Amino acid sequence: MSTDTNKPAPSHWWKWFDPRKSDVGNWAFILNRITAIGLTVYLFVHLVVLYQLSQGPEAYNSFLELAKHPFIVLGELLVVVAAIYHGLNGIRVGLTTFSDTSSVQKAIFYVIALVAIVGSLIFAVRMFTA
Amino acid sequence: MKKPHVIIIGAGFTGAATAHDLALRGLDVTVVERGALVSGTSGRTHGLLHCGGRYCVKDQESAIECIEENLILRKIVPQVIEPNGGLFVALDESDVEYSKGWLEGCEACEIPYKPLTPQQTLEIEPYINPDLKIAYEVPDGTFDPLRIAMAFAATAKSNGAKFKLYTEVTELVIDNSGRVTGLKVWDRVTDERSELYADMVVNATGAWAGMIAEMAGANVPVIPTPGVMVAYDERFVNRAINRLCKPSDGDIVLPQRRMVVVGTTSFEVDDMDYIPVIEDQVELMLDRGSALIPGIRDVKERGVYMATRPLIGSGLTGRSAARTFKCFDHKESDGIDGFVTITGGKATTLRRMAEKTSDIVCQKLDIEMECKTAETPLISYRQYHAL
Amino acid sequence: MSNQVWMVTFRIFRKKGNLKPYFEDFQMEVKPGEYLLEAVERIWAFKDRSLTFAHACHHSTCGACGMRVNGKEKLTCITLIKDVVDDDGTVKVEPLRNFPVVSDLVVDMGNLFLNLESVGHHPVISVVEEPYQDGIAAGKGSEADYIRLSDCIECGMCISACPVATTTSTYLGPAALAGAMQASLNPDNGVLKLVDCADGVWRCHSAYECSEVCPSYVEPGRKIMQLRRKVMAERIKSIFRSNN
Repeated sequence: MSTDTNKPAPSHWWKWFDPRKSDVGNWAFILNRITAIGLTVYLFVHLVVLYQLSQGPEAYNSFLELAKHPFIVLGELLVVVAAIYHGLNGIRVGLTTFSDTSSVQKAIFYVIALVAIVGSLIFAVRMFTA
Repeated sequence: MKKPHVIIIGAGFTGAATAHDLALRGLDVTVVERGALVSGTSGRTHGLLHCGGRYCVKDQESAIECIEENLILRKIVPQVIEPNGGLFVALDESDVEYSKGWLEGCEACEIPYKPLTPQQTLEIEPYINPDLKIAYEVPDGTFDPLRIAMAFAATAKSNGAKFKLYTEVTELVIDNSGRVTGLKVWDRVTDERSELYADMVVNATGAWAGMIAEMAGANVPVIPTPGVMVAYDERFVNRAINRLCKPSDGDIVLPQRRMVVVGTTSFEVDDMDYIPVIEDQVELMLDRGSALIPGIRDVKERGVYMATRPLIGSGLTGRSAARTFKCFDHKESDGIDGFVTITGGKATTLRRMAEKTSDIVCQKLDIEMECKTAETPLISYRQYHAL
Repeated sequence: MSNQVWMVTFRIFRKKGNLKPYFEDFQMEVKPGEYLLEAVERIWAFKDRSLTFAHACHHSTCGACGMRVNGKEKLTCITLIKDVVDDDGTVKVEPLRNFPVVSDLVVDMGNLFLNLESVGHHPVISVVEEPYQDGIAAGKGSEADYIRLSDCIECGMCISACPVATTTSTYLGPAALAGAMQASLNPDNGVLKLVDCADGVWRCHSAYECSEVCPSYVEPGRKIMQLRRKVMAERIKSIFRSNN
């Protein structure tokens, strides 16, 4: 049996989900993908909601009632958190792509993670106490 | 007419270079290796492309071989060589005393040298011990231990040779007339056993040559002689740095990637499948290495390993045994036909060892093909994986 | 200190032929200050001769002995036992990811070598073009005349660590892209066009795991971004060129 086949290994589309044993950069990438998926799903949900607006005042009012439900508020918070994180990591990716700062990418990640957590807490407090 | 099939046991430097030489001469070659490429002694070579200066006093035959092969390898396989030259550095009066005989040796072996004052030396290699007395620049070089063999193997493959790695020889097949006709192998990848047949079997297992030869009832006087190498985490020099003294422990410091490697020692063993690291020898390398390059004391150790040279026994041991190689035609020495052993030697002379071995193999198989490896540039080592 | 002896369990990945892979435990006496590859070698020499693993130089220049140790990519010849396990502990040793497993700890890295070849990476190069002291070559005199082996030892660890390489087998990968960055020092060889594609520079998602595991100062993630900037600059320049 030949030991030299030089074929690429089979790929597994789901394996990127696994952050175990990897460093913060991989966590950043995984969270970026998850938030991207989340925000995209949210975009479609948002379009559905906007459609409701076009159905007249009763449809809109009943939607507003629904929107006060804590589950929906939580969902909206998740969207906000996702947007904050995705935007900030986007800045990290932009910085390290357009300037030679990739050697400090971990430090940049810790900073954006801190800002994201603080920002999320502020929004959480405001959204749940409004 | 079917091409004669030669099986080479061992994919170290000798096996890979012999596969290339025989394949270039048009023979059908299969290399059988129990591990990975150069996973025995060859991979652990210090990596010095000798100019011969180390041997020009006591072993001029080796020295001349070295300088000749040095120039050939620079031509045929520059892709793996750092051709930045070397220095022989005298640190004290006894070194300076030795230099007299050394210079005569260089003249006798036609090894080019250029004397340098301490100031001139420090200008080109600022990290050498500033207390040096005198230095000589010589055409040493350093090479990548895996990729030099890969280049030979790739070129051999391009001429039809096959490499069966992770395939261990368990027995030689010998017919009624006492001729080796093949071997039994254990494929360690699939855990299967099978037999391979050949018109000639070449034992290129270096330090293990005696062990393999025994399988045929032949005797090859190889003395496995390990030594230590220590790598430090800083590339202090671009040249090979040799202590200008008679060959002894730790008298060579080489650059390799972003490290320097200090070597080596010399002692005998019986079992060479695994040699444990000896702490005292590591300490000795630190002392000897930092005598040449004081900065070594301040950097981290990056790696330590033992490598087992195959020295040909002749009553002498260790440093005084000749570093030349020998090819044994077992029909002459033991009455066993179809079997040839090549062992001894050093990395720098791999191509020549292959030439002599291939000459004998072709002569025994009645093939009149000249060796062309000295003029044939090797293909890119990466092609090993394409073929 | 150097006489200390530990008892460590090595949980080794085993695979033969087409049989199902499994893990096998070996209890080994080791010194905390020795290198992991020594222990693997002793397992082969004294416990199980069927164990296959790749190794050659034992001092981080050949790139053969990369493995995943407790899930993280390590070059085992320069990895100290005490940095990966404690006395009485267990250390898991597996082959690299994203390459086909040949047997036990051996993977087929042919794809990596051929990718490096296709981008034109030079295995030996002048110290001016590939400096080793952040822009300063050691020694005065004609630095331009010194040739050295390139930093990349083709160990495959960056590809093993790359999350993108896990999901697609056509990505050029960090090693080849870093190699392309070196090759692009020659502006005429068309390598920028070669990597300006979906499976080239644009496939990287800035995980930088490659730079985290590289044992040889290549910093592939950084090189990919440098290459990206070069590709973008070239694209912009070519807009103005074609307008002449």
